Amino acid sequence: MNVIQALVSGLLVGAVYALMASGLTLVFGVMRVVNLAHGAFAILAAFLTWTLWSGLGLDPLASIPILSVVMFGVGWLAYVLIVRHVRNRHMSMTILATFGIALLLEGVMGFAWGNQSAAVRTAYTDSSVTIGPLYLPTVTLIAAAIAVVVLVSLKVLLDHTWAGRAIRASSVNESGALLVGVSVKAIAATTFGIGIATLGAGGAIIAATYPFIPGSHYQWIARLLAIAVLGGLGSLPGAVIGALIIGVGEQLATLWLGASWVVAVPFLVIFIVLLVRPQGILGQRLREDAVA
Amino acid sequence: MSIDKGSAYTTNLPTPPAAPTSAVPLWARPRTIRIATTIVLSASAIVLLLFPLSPSRSAQNTVIIALVFAIGAVGLNIVTGYTGYLSLSQFAFVGIGAYTVAILARAWPDVSPFAWVPIGGLLAAAMACILGLVTYRSRGPSFVIITIAFLFLVQFIAIEWDELTNGTAGITMPLPDWPREWGNWPFHLALVVLLGLSLLMSWWIRRTKFGLGLIAIREDEGKAGTVGVTAPVYKLLAFGASALFVGMAGGVYAYYLGFVDPVNMFSILFSVQIVLSVILGGRGTLFGPVLGAFLIEPLNTFANNVSFGVIQGGGNLRLVMFGSLLLLLVVLLPEGIVPSLKALVERARAKGRVGLSGARLAPLSSSTTPAVTTERAPAHPGPARALLEVRGLSKSFGGNHAVDDCTFTVPEGSITALIGPNGSGKTTVFNLVSGTLLADRGEILLDGERVDRVAPWGRAHRGVGRTFQITRLFREMTVLENIVTPLRSFSIPRLGVPAVSGAEASRAMELLDFVGLAAYRDVRAGSLSYGQQKLIELAQVLMLDPKLIMLDEPAGGINPTLIERMGDLIRDLNRQGKTFLLVEHNMPFVLGLCDPIRVLAKGHVIAEGDPDRIQKDPAVIDAYLGDDYLLERKPAPAAGLVTEGSTR
Repeated sequence: MNVIQALVSGLLVGAVYALMASGLTLVFGVMRVVNLAHGAFAILAAFLTWTLWSGLGLDPLASIPILSVVMFGVGWLAYVLIVRHVRNRHMSMTILATFGIALLLEGVMGFAWGNQSAAVRTAYTDSSVTIGPLYLPTVTLIAAAIAVVVLVSLKVLLDHTWAGRAIRASSVNESGALLVGVSVKAIAATTFGIGIATLGAGGAIIAATYPFIPGSHYQWIARLLAIAVLGGLGSLPGAVIGALIIGVGEQLATLWLGASWVVAVPFLVIFIVLLVRPQGILGQRLREDAVA
Repeated sequence: MSIDKGSAYTTNLPTPPAAPTSAVPLWARPRTIRIATTIVLSASAIVLLLFPLSPSRSAQNTVIIALVFAIGAVGLNIVTGYTGYLSLSQFAFVGIGAYTVAILARAWPDVSPFAWVPIGGLLAAAMACILGLVTYRSRGPSFVIITIAFLFLVQFIAIEWDELTNGTAGITMPLPDWPREWGNWPFHLALVVLLGLSLLMSWWIRRTKFGLGLIAIREDEGKAGTVGVTAPVYKLLAFGASALFVGMAGGVYAYYLGFVDPVNMFSILFSVQIVLSVILGGRGTLFGPVLGAFLIEPLNTFANNVSFGVIQGGGNLRLVMFGSLLLLLVVLLPEGIVPSLKALVERARAKGRVGLSGARLAPLSSSTTPAVTTERAPAHPGPARALLEVRGLSKSFGGNHAVDDCTFTVPEGSITALIGPNGSGKTTVFNLVSGTLLADRGEILLDGERVDRVAPWGRAHRGVGRTFQITRLFREMTVLENIVTPLRSFSIPRLGVPAVSGAEASRAMELLDFVGLAAYRDVRAGSLSYGQQKLIELAQVLMLDPKLIMLDEPAGGINPTLIERMGDLIRDLNRQGKTFLLVEHNMPFVLGLCDPIRVLAKGHVIAEGDPDRIQKDPAVIDAYLGDDYLLERKPAPAAGLVTEGSTR
């Protein structure tokens, strides 16, 4: 029975992970940038949620729209100030640049909010729903529902709007998109902004569900990278599948191996996937004869 | 070590005419730079060696830690600077060395911990080799991600393997067993010696075939394979070398600290500090990483101890500093200090000198020394034996059957052409034959021997040489270095041979003469024109001395004079016994030069035969040449190449 509980909890948590990983994989898909600062942006959003809650008494769920706008701006700014300048360099350099952003954010958050563990407590924090033998925390249920809503909106945005088509066009063939009148530069900044804006919801969920410190971003980026790599970097459906697998995997690892193993799961997944099937589950093996 | 690029190995070679020294400002003259470098290096070495004479214990501490980072940075430079693999786990090898020594010292309390230092180094090198194996499958960003995972997994093991590592509590080391008045000297001197050894190794690697191969891997790993560089072995050795002295330094560091624990030994920040040192000082330079380490560690100490009013030094300030520094470096100074200084000197020297680029081609003398002397085949053997045989070759990319049941032969001693419309699979066939891609089905036989499962370097060693449609030279290398990179065989002792020397260097010069570009010997390959690069790539392939030379569009995108020269060179080499397979769209060029011709369409051969037959074949006209081909043909640029047979 414990296994079923673990499976259900894993799927619910996995939905949240999918939301968090969607921005990471979208940014990689469109601009081939592995954004190691993705976790740090998530923690930033969590701290902003905490401030809105402790300062103005705003419920984390209510702050999601505000945060999404703010995080879009933060992402856009990070792109214009930094990522834009290193995009066309060697990929290792873009990785270093985004890691630099992560460290900078970690330090700034340390100064702004301190290195004490923060958490948002709401009326529904400790409540839970019991269905038969299953025990489901209300927060997790709400979080999973929000994650699904945001992911579906993202999918609609990408599939059914002009901006979405422009983003997908840029991700498939940048110069081609340029030729048919897509302003690739603006699209890149917008994509990066959208990728980070998804963390508005993600950060609010983190704040309401887990205690966090500035240094938590390592744990998140590890998990999100594992998800993106497992699903296939750049593939949105892949990220969803990867997130569900990792979510369930973490729960099962806790159940069978002990809580300390949860830390190791993402790293093991990254190691094994990149060695055995580098393109992940849904990622396409690029034609490598032009550029090895 | 002089600042002069390439001076370490351009021995036994005539120097090109130097510019009149009067035009170069005094400070930028080679002699001035040489003297200045010697003075700066000697002074730094003396200060470094005698630093424990300083009365300040905290300054001594900073220098000792900077030494550890410098050793780490020199090691990382072998992997990142020379080989092109960025790693965010370099400090893990310090940690592995430290833990090894701490664990052994705890088990044998009577033995000096210094005795275990070499074992720490060997274990770190072994772990690094495992990381090197990983590069067989993942490159670029995947590799960086793997190194992060590696670092955290090692930390995880250090935390969880309680009985060996004492978990999060860590291990306490014995106190130093020497007289108090010796102070830090033993630690300091041990680290100075390790730094010296690291630098010696780095210098040695850079000037040998081994180093040249690593740089080829950095510049273009796929291409390096096709010229016979056995990349996996190179990388394995490079990773091992990058961690050997770093592990030893870790052992000394543990003894110095008196304590090892998983949080401090495997912090990703320390690995970042090493990466910062390498980039700041200059990737791929000998002393840059050391310079970087000694600039950053004092900054780090400062950030840990300073406080400005409300802003306290320590963790957060350090994070902000490292983060900003990383961003500034990557955006503004990605080259690093030492290369930027070199560029400054180069500019001062080049000022007022007419560059070589754009000079006219040296005339191709008919008396050129035969570039090829070995493996001569009879000019026209009776029934031609197939040097290359391709049977039922297939390759798909997703649903696209790029090559589909392709079968053809290349007779020994022939100049065989592979023609066909764009997308008919010509280049994919090339990639399959050279081993850049592996076929889904089918056989490739070279001299009757199956090679379709052999790695690219293995095929190069067996005598397959190729050029690329879009030239792929090692851009950051000089022309001469490019030409001496190919290897016809692999052996460990050969890795230690100087990169450019002796008979090989003179042969390289012969080949450069042969293609008429000898004057460009020391020019960076990336700065040459496209046509020149094509000729250099041909010379590079000839250095491999292959039985089969495969040229992908040798006449594509270059001017008519160069096309003509290319044709002459190919004919010349063919007379000397070389077999050619070439892909080309320039029909007059093909018809004048090649016999037989294989026509590819939709991934398989639809026609083959001599030029005459191909031109009249209805299937070929339909699939490739077009109905108006015969009507519209005008004297093409390379009309001189069109033979009787092709004009009707």
